[in-house]
Amino acid sequence: MDQVITAVVAVIGVPLVLLGYIVLGERVIERLPDTIQTWIRPYFWALPAIGFATIFMVYPLLRTVFLSFRNNADTDWVGFNNYVYFFTFPDTLTSLRNSLLWLIFYTFFAVGLGLIIAILLDRVRYEQVAKIAIFLPVPISAVAASIIWKFMFDYQPPGSVQTGTLNAAIGAFGGQPVAWLVNSTTNNPALIFVGIWSITGFCMVIISASLKSISTEVLEAARIDGANEFRIVQLIVTPLLWPTITVVGTTMIINALKTFDIVYVLTSGAYDTDVIATNMFRQLATSHYARAAAVGVVLFLAIVPLLVVNIRRFQQQEETR
Amino acid sequence: MSQAEATTRRETAGAGAAVGVLDRWGHQLQRLPLHLVIIIFIAIWIVPTIGLIVNSFRNVQDMGSAGWWSALFPPHGFSLGSYQQVLNTENVTTSIFNSVLITVPATVIQLAIATMGAYAFAWMKFPGKDLFFIVIVGLMVVPIQMTLIPVLQIFKATGLAGTFIAVWLAHSGYGLPFEVFLLRNYLGGLPREIFESAEMDGAGHAVRFLRIAVPMTVPAIASLTIFVFLGVWNDLLVSLTFLGSSPNRPFTVVITQLVTSLGGGWQFLTAAAVLQMSLPLAVFIFLQRYFVRGITSGSVKG
Amino acid sequence: MTDVLAKLSSRAIAGGLGVLLLIACSSGGGTNNQTASSTDVTVWTAWGGNELAAFQKVLKPFHDQTGITVHLTTVRDANQLSINVDAGTSLPDIAPGPTVDKVKDWATKGTMKPVETALGSSFNDYITNTYPALTTVPSGGGDNLYIGIVGGKHYELMVKTQVKGLFWYNKKVFTGTAPKTFDELLAINPSQYGADKLFCVGLESGGASGWPASDQIDNIIMRQSGDKVYTDWIQGKVKFSSPQIKLGYQTYLKEVSAQNVYGGPNTVLSTAFQRAGKPLFAAKPGCLFLEQATFIPSFFLEDYPNLKAGVDFDFFGHPSVASQYDGNVNGFYDQFAMYNDTPAARKLMQYMATSPAQQIWADAGGTLTAIKTIKYNDPVFNRAAEVANSAKNLLVTAGDFMPSDMQAAFWKSLLNVTKNPSSLDSELAKLDQVQAAAYKTS
Repeated sequence: MDQVITAVVAVIGVPLVLLGYIVLGERVIERLPDTIQTWIRPYFWALPAIGFATIFMVYPLLRTVFLSFRNNADTDWVGFNNYVYFFTFPDTLTSLRNSLLWLIFYTFFAVGLGLIIAILLDRVRYEQVAKIAIFLPVPISAVAASIIWKFMFDYQPPGSVQTGTLNAAIGAFGGQPVAWLVNSTTNNPALIFVGIWSITGFCMVIISASLKSISTEVLEAARIDGANEFRIVQLIVTPLLWPTITVVGTTMIINALKTFDIVYVLTSGAYDTDVIATNMFRQLATSHYARAAAVGVVLFLAIVPLLVVNIRRFQQQEETR
Repeated sequence: MSQAEATTRRETAGAGAAVGVLDRWGHQLQRLPLHLVIIIFIAIWIVPTIGLIVNSFRNVQDMGSAGWWSALFPPHGFSLGSYQQVLNTENVTTSIFNSVLITVPATVIQLAIATMGAYAFAWMKFPGKDLFFIVIVGLMVVPIQMTLIPVLQIFKATGLAGTFIAVWLAHSGYGLPFEVFLLRNYLGGLPREIFESAEMDGAGHAVRFLRIAVPMTVPAIASLTIFVFLGVWNDLLVSLTFLGSSPNRPFTVVITQLVTSLGGGWQFLTAAAVLQMSLPLAVFIFLQRYFVRGITSGSVKG
Repeated sequence: MTDVLAKLSSRAIAGGLGVLLLIACSSGGGTNNQTASSTDVTVWTAWGGNELAAFQKVLKPFHDQTGITVHLTTVRDANQLSINVDAGTSLPDIAPGPTVDKVKDWATKGTMKPVETALGSSFNDYITNTYPALTTVPSGGGDNLYIGIVGGKHYELMVKTQVKGLFWYNKKVFTGTAPKTFDELLAINPSQYGADKLFCVGLESGGASGWPASDQIDNIIMRQSGDKVYTDWIQGKVKFSSPQIKLGYQTYLKEVSAQNVYGGPNTVLSTAFQRAGKPLFAAKPGCLFLEQATFIPSFFLEDYPNLKAGVDFDFFGHPSVASQYDGNVNGFYDQFAMYNDTPAARKLMQYMATSPAQQIWADAGGTLTAIKTIKYNDPVFNRAAEVANSAKNLLVTAGDFMPSDMQAAFWKSLLNVTKNPSSLDSELAKLDQVQAAAYKTS
């Protein structure tokens, strides 16, 4: 009951506090001389946002880097030891390799399928219904999606009744069941597929919106000129969609590198499916804070190129505003 | 027109219609592969979820002896046993309640702060504004994992570890960069004249913000609210890290922990998963418009 | 609404905020309910599901008799208590004791209060009634950190126990006599009894996958190389690549070989431990034996609700591997330590040590209690009690008492060698590497 009260207070109180902050603050600021007003006001308004961002993102970022060079109890410097650990310990390199696999295949297929489906659906009348179907996994949590696919991947010994949908389908065609999550050749693809399955709808919706904004006259003109559909997609549609594709693509790359839930729930990283995020979480959970920090920094370094791309793109957009 | 002409017209129209129909059928037949491919895609995206939902209405013995599709034929063997079991499992109902208690305040807090900050970035000039904003854009990309440990230490030092307040603050901190970015773009797109004329009428910033900016931003805020809400409801990592063993942990964490439990097993998780995803699905079904608008507005320049 | 708010006077706003602040402060804003010390007691437990339900049954008469309210919270993560101890934040009155590496520290610092204090005059009865393996003080009044004995004093109250390494079988299928030695066990021909293979094994368990395998290998090692090697190994003093541990792995691999195990390694790795026993009772039995602890029957019943213990299924103890080590039995126990010495907490501790309380646990099924004189409805458990009583050493499960990353690596290694037996040497080398780092105190 206590907690409900706290929650209600938070829900009502925080906006009201902010309101008070703005209104009262403005009344104070308005009394100040003009020159002071113009520079103090923006900081005043942006302070909560900047404050939160600093406390929860900027400071921790710096501190994590700092921590990665210390020992777990944070009492001493250990130089690059934690990084050495990361690169020499059994299985940690596997997590790097797997994150790379996720980066490549998850991104490529999520965006690719999103593009293909958007284009295909554009040509049928039941587009809206189909879109809903494909989009449905998006709002579902990764935990629920993992459980959904756990049952799809279920394995029973050869000769027994298969309870997993995939193995039953294989059996119907006369094949042997596959231990999807255990077998090293299939488990990473299986996990990556669950990720793709969950997010393709998202890519599809964005790309579809862009697709619809392509002027039909251009397409009509191309058709009249005799170009077949594939060529049109290849030479006209894709280039026009390219900006959207890159935006979606970078978002997917970030998602791929941050993947945690699916791997954690389905295999917990066993049988060589570990990724950077699960590796880091494990270090964290066993109180190896410095090692976890080092893993986090490695992850961050992987993302830095995207950071730069994002910022560049943002600056370009700003110039056209 | 004369009788003859009208008849001719009708006949031509009829013939034309017939040809039209045949033409369409032929056209459709050519498009059969297209439809087939689309139907396969739809199947891949819907069947697994249906499988889970059907499974959640079966009991353990049935689930272990045959796949979910066999429940579609008699004897169906539907039962609510899984749901009863899950809801009676210790901590489950509490955790569902916790999920709500975590999600609602976290959403409200971050959106309130983000809107204020976005307004400042959109409509005020100040030194360092561009730098700050670039930092915010950059932060959108930073993985949460980078920040977990120090934030955890902050919470422990301030005694907030394991409390709701901790996750409200954490979620807010993590969500702000994207929200400020999005809202600033939206706010920046509002017509300058409205603000200027209000200013000339003597309205201060507070009034301009509350009476003009916020009401006009409602569509964007509405869409964003849905996103943020679902993002927090579905979150696993943040809650696992900050509330992993606290009695305040949300539903997603409890589900994950039920797997290893000596009283559970995957079979009972079907009901749990269906319960967990029914809220997002309901939100999506009823609020589709805002949902889709939210996604597209954020990424397609607008 | 926003325009109304914008027009409010400063004073009104400040007043409203003040009221909110008052409400927030008065409701405490947090989750820690400080409880009165003689009418309420806070208890943390890691139990869930059936175990928790059983505990609640045990607690009910306590509440009825004493009027004390028990605030029970399930806390899965063993680390949470450590976090609170380190941070100096409030502790539950009663909770399980910590991991072995912390026992001595918490006992000497007074974080845990002695069971002697909690039980007072009923302490001697407790010692007499409990299985000796659970409460015996090492000679010279020393420490046995595994059972919470520091400086000759007890810090952990034993309430339940399980015996592991039991071989379960379907009485209608396996009609032979229990093998005396491990070699005899392996020599049994399953098709003689109409079963497909010798063993059923299920290792899947979410993030903890592989723990049943560690039980199996522990039972082998303690009977094959003795308790000294076993406990040294737990403490990191014996390498994984040493001949004794390697031999243990090789012996374990015989239990999960494609030749001996139902469905082969893929099935072993894909089957959740709760469902591993299903093939025992199938129309065409998939296997003869399942090695598991005393809690497994409740899972048999989930799949086949009509089975009767003692009639349809039974067990025999782990066969001897090296006869001189026969007194070593693998088990685990549930215990509680007292963290706040309050009258209510003491009463609860005393209550849990009594036969009536433990009888409720026994009747709820699925476990042995720590009191040796309890009689069980289930004939299987009465026999398990004999095993527990005759044990010279009730040795803990190795993985549970290793540093957590060592345990994680250990479990993973078992999964990996099960999948790929030829990787044994490289897995053991990896484990050595982890061991070297894990036992360093950093």
